[in-house]
Amino acid sequence: MNYHKFILFCAALLACSCKKTVTLKLNTAQAQIVIEGEVTDQPGPYTVAISQTVGFYADNTFPPVSGASVIMTDNTNGVTDSLTETAPGTGVYRTHETVGVDGHTYTLSVTSQQQNYTATSTMPMPVPLDSISFSQLSGFGNKQIDAIANFQDPAGIKNYYQFVEFVNGTQITKDIFVFSDRLSDGRYINETLYNDTSYLFQGDDVKVNMYCIDENVYNYFYQLIQSGGTGAFSTTASPANPTSNISNGALGYFSAHTVSSKESVVY
Amino acid sequence: MLTTRTLRLQRALVFLLGIFSPFLLSAQVRHTVSGTIRDQSSGETLIGASVAILNHPRSTVQSNSYGFYSLNAAAGKYTIVVSFAGFRNDTLEVSLDKDVVIAVNLSPAEAEMQEVVVSANRNNANVTKPLMGVQKLSVNEIKDVPVIFGEKDILKTIQLLPGVQSGGDGSSGFYVRGGSVDQNLILLDEATVYNPTHLLGFFSTFNSDAIKDVTLYKGAIPAEYGGRLASVLDVRMDDGNVKDYGVSGGLGLISSRLNIQGPIEKDDGSFIVSARRTYADIFLKLSKDTNTNRSSLYFYDINAKANYKLGDKDHIFLSGYFGKDNLGLGNTFGLDYGNSTGTFRWNHIFNSRLFSNTSLIYSKYNYNVSVNSGNNNIGITSFVRDYHLKEDLQYFVNSDNKVNFGIEVIQHTTSPGVISASGTSSFNPLALEQRYSVESAAYIDHSLSLSDKVNIDYGLRAGLFTVFGPGSFYTYDSSGNAVDTATYGSGQVVRNYFNLEPRFSMSYRLTDNSSIKFAYTRTTQNLHLLSNSTSSNPTDVWIPSSNNVKPEIADQVSTGYFRNADNNAYEFSAEVYYRYMQNQIDYKNGAQLIANEYVESQLIYGIGRAYGLELFAKKKVGRMTGWVSYTLSRTERRFGQVNDDSWYPANQDRTHDLSVVGIYKLNKKWTLSGDFVYYTGNAVTWPSGKYEVNGQVAFLYIKRNGYRMPPYNRLDLSATLQGKKTKKFDSNWNFSLYNAYGRENPYSISFQQDPGNPAKTEAVQYALFRWVPSVTYNFKF
Repeated sequence: MNYHKFILFCAALLACSCKKTVTLKLNTAQAQIVIEGEVTDQPGPYTVAISQTVGFYADNTFPPVSGASVIMTDNTNGVTDSLTETAPGTGVYRTHETVGVDGHTYTLSVTSQQQNYTATSTMPMPVPLDSISFSQLSGFGNKQIDAIANFQDPAGIKNYYQFVEFVNGTQITKDIFVFSDRLSDGRYINETLYNDTSYLFQGDDVKVNMYCIDENVYNYFYQLIQSGGTGAFSTTASPANPTSNISNGALGYFSAHTVSSKESVVY
Repeated sequence: MLTTRTLRLQRALVFLLGIFSPFLLSAQVRHTVSGTIRDQSSGETLIGASVAILNHPRSTVQSNSYGFYSLNAAAGKYTIVVSFAGFRNDTLEVSLDKDVVIAVNLSPAEAEMQEVVVSANRNNANVTKPLMGVQKLSVNEIKDVPVIFGEKDILKTIQLLPGVQSGGDGSSGFYVRGGSVDQNLILLDEATVYNPTHLLGFFSTFNSDAIKDVTLYKGAIPAEYGGRLASVLDVRMDDGNVKDYGVSGGLGLISSRLNIQGPIEKDDGSFIVSARRTYADIFLKLSKDTNTNRSSLYFYDINAKANYKLGDKDHIFLSGYFGKDNLGLGNTFGLDYGNSTGTFRWNHIFNSRLFSNTSLIYSKYNYNVSVNSGNNNIGITSFVRDYHLKEDLQYFVNSDNKVNFGIEVIQHTTSPGVISASGTSSFNPLALEQRYSVESAAYIDHSLSLSDKVNIDYGLRAGLFTVFGPGSFYTYDSSGNAVDTATYGSGQVVRNYFNLEPRFSMSYRLTDNSSIKFAYTRTTQNLHLLSNSTSSNPTDVWIPSSNNVKPEIADQVSTGYFRNADNNAYEFSAEVYYRYMQNQIDYKNGAQLIANEYVESQLIYGIGRAYGLELFAKKKVGRMTGWVSYTLSRTERRFGQVNDDSWYPANQDRTHDLSVVGIYKLNKKWTLSGDFVYYTGNAVTWPSGKYEVNGQVAFLYIKRNGYRMPPYNRLDLSATLQGKKTKKFDSNWNFSLYNAYGRENPYSISFQQDPGNPAKTEAVQYALFRWVPSVTYNFKF
C-alpha cells in the first residue's frame, strides 16, 4: 500500500497528476446474491446477511434478500441450526444454538429462489493480540499516525489474520487489513495498519480486533483489496471478483474466526 | 557439459552448410572488393551504407554492423558508388583483377547540400531487400522529434512507427504487433537490457548521445536473433571519434548530459564516455520536512566504449553500460535498481568475403528494496544475470548470395528474491532458490537473389533451452497446491526444450521502385517477466521456462506492398500481419508474485493472436520531412479460466493508432517540429455493478477487458534554435511543449465511494501530463 503511495508521490514530482471525476457508460449486470456470514469464538448469536448487487451509479443501498432458508451446521459436533431473519425484510439471519469453538468446522447453507449456496470454514486456533502501539510516518507533506498490532505468531503452522480498527467507537470500513505469516512464521509481528482514508490524532481512542481466519477467507479479503485498488497506479491490471468460499457463484464469504482485541489512546 | 553441446551444435551447423552449399557454387572467375565504410569527419563506422556497381542495382550490398562491406563481381573494371543517408556519395574506380581492399570515407553532407546531393542517389533498399517489418532510425532522424522533458529518446520515437504502441502517457515501454512488453528483445551492443526504462518508465535507458544506430525488427526477424516473441530492438553504441577529441553535452530542466570522445591512437583506436544524471529531486531538498528533504528520486547512467584496430584484419571493441535509479523516502523506504552490461567484441576478417565477430557479453539487472519502519527492517533483492558467448560469421559469397551463420550460448542465472531481516523484524530472512539455465542456439541465414525481380532470405535457428539444477522443482495440482517435489543436484538437467525456428522472407519487384513482400517467422521465448500491474514495475521478476512453464512460441505471417516515389524521396508501405502465440502467461486472481517459492502455481496459460494493417508514408528529404503512420489492429488472448474460455481483447488492444511527425527547417537558424498521436483507449476491466461486503462497497466485475479507456490524443511542438556555428564550437537551444493543447489523457481510472456523498460511488480519472514545457541547451566543442 505504502509502496504505491510512494510511486504516486514520485509521479507527482514529474507530472501534474490531474485528478477528476468522470461519468462512464457502465453496464448494470443482472442482480447477484451476496452472502456474508460469520461465526466467532465470542458469545453468539452470529449473523448471516444476504443482499443483492446494484448498478454502479445507483445509491449505496443494497436490497436485502428475505425469506431465504439459512442453515448453519457445526460439522465437528453435529449441531444443526436453522437461522431466522431478525425481522422480515432485513435480510439478516440470526443463529440460535450455534456455539463458536476454535478447531470446529462450520458449514453454511443458504437456499433462495430455488438456488442453493454452501460454504465451509474452519475456525483456527486463537492467537492473542498483545498490544497496540502507534507509528508516525512523515512525508507527503503531512504527518500520519497509524496503529500497529503487536502479537506473537505461532511457529510451524500457517496463520492468517484480519484486523478491524475502531476510532472513537466507529469502525473504519474503508480499509481492510489482512496479514499472512507466509514470510513471517514464528515471528513477533508488528503489523502497521496503514490507513489510506482516515487519520488518527493524538487523544483518539483506538480499538483493534484481531481475527484468526482460515486460508480461504484470507484469500478472499486479499483479492478484495487487490481488486479495489484506487489511485493512479492501481495495483492490478485485471481486477476480478475475489474467489469466494461460497459455492454456486455467490459473492461474499463465510468466515469462522476467533477474536482478540485491545484498546488504547493515541499517544 | 557445455562443450559437448557446443560441439553438437557445431556439427549441426556443418550439416546445414552442406545443405545450402549447392546454392553457393559459382563458376566464373570472380574477385572481391571489400573494406570498411566510415564517416570521414569522425571515423565512426557507418552501418547499412549501400555499395553498388554503377547502373547495376542488383549488385547492391550493405555494410554490416561494423561498417564492413564485401562486393564480389566477375573480373573487370567497375565504377562503384557508395551511399549513405545524410552523406555525400563516393565513387570508386575499381579494377577487379584480384581481390582488393578499399576503405571508404564518406563526408557528411552540409544541411543545405543535403537536398541536392543526397537525392542524387538515394537508397531504395526498403523496396528491394526481402526483409520486411523492419524500421531503422539514426540518431540524426530522431533529434528533431519532440519528446517529453526535451530528452531525446529512441524508445519514445519508435512508438511513433507503425505496429509499435506506447506503454502509456510519457512511457518508454512499448508493445509490438500485439506482443507484451517483455516480448521485445532489447539489445545494447548485443547485451540484453532487461529493464529498458528509468524512473518508473518515463525515461529510457538509452542515452541518445552515445547511440549510433537503432534497428527494430517486428516482422521478419533474421535468424541471428532469438529469445523473444514479438520484436528485436538492436541498439548500437557509437565507437568514438578516431580523429579528434570532442566534448558535447546538454543542460536541461531535469537532466544534464556530457559526452567525451577522442582517439586512443589516431585512426586506429578511440574511446567514448557518455553520462547522464537527472536532478528532479533537488526540489525535495527545499522541503522543511526532514523525511522529505532527505528523499531521493534520480537516475544516472554511463555508456563507455573503446575500440582498437589490431592490424588490417582484426579490430577489438570493449563497451559497457551502467545505470542506476535511486528512489528513497528519507530512511523509511528505498528502492534502487539498474542494468549493467559489458561487451567485448573481436572482429576478424578471414578474407575479403568472410567476416567474423566474436562477442563475450555480460548483462545484469538487479533491484534492492529496503523498508525501515519502527523496528521492522527488511531488505529484498533480486537479479537476473547473463554470461553470453556469440560467434557470428558473414560469408559474402557473391553479389547474389550471402550467408550468415553462427552459434551462441547464454548462461542465465535468476534470483527471484532474497529477503534479509533484522532480529526484531516481523519477517523471516528468506532466500528463494536461484534458477540456472543455458540457452544455446545455432543459426544459418541465406540471402539469395534469384533474379532481378526475386530476392529471398531464408534461414533456420535451432535453439536448445536447458534448465539445470541445483534446485527443487514442484508439480502442482489443479488448485495450485504443490503435490510433488523433485530435487536436482548441481549441473543435473531438469528439462530440455528444443525448438526449430524457421525464418523466411521474399520480395518480388514489380517495378524499379515498387515491390511486394512476404514473410514467415517463428520465434520462441524462454525467459518470462512476471508482471500483473498496469504500469511496469522495477520489481517485476524474470523467470525461466521450467517443468511447469513451457516456452512461448509465436508464428507470424506478413505480406506487404512497398513503393518509393520521386527518386526515393518518398517511401510508402502497407503491411498486413497475423501472429499466433502459444503458451502465453497470465496470473490467477490475486496472484502472489513477490518472494513466492511456489510462484509457478500462480500462473495460468493460454494462447494469443494479433492481426492488423500498417500504413506508413515518409518524406525523407527537403525542408519539410516526416512521416505518417497508421495501424489498424486487433490483439486478443484466450485463457481457459478467463471470460469462459473465449477470445478477449488484451490490454494493449488498440483498434486505431495514428502518428504524424513533421519537421520543418524554417531557415538556417530555426527548425520547427511537431507530432500528433491518436489511439483507441486500452481494453480495461471496469465494474458492472457493486455490492456491500464487510461494511464497504465492493465492485462487481463481469468480463475481463470488457470496457475501453477514452481515446488518447496529443500534440507536441518543438523548436530548435541553432547557435553560431564555428569550427570550434557548435550549440543549440531546444524549446519543446509536450501535450500542447493540454488534453487530460487518462492514465488510469479508478472507482471509489464518493467522499462528498457516501451514498454514491464515483469513477476518478488520473491524468499525468498536461503542457509539459522544457528547455534544453546543447553544446559541442
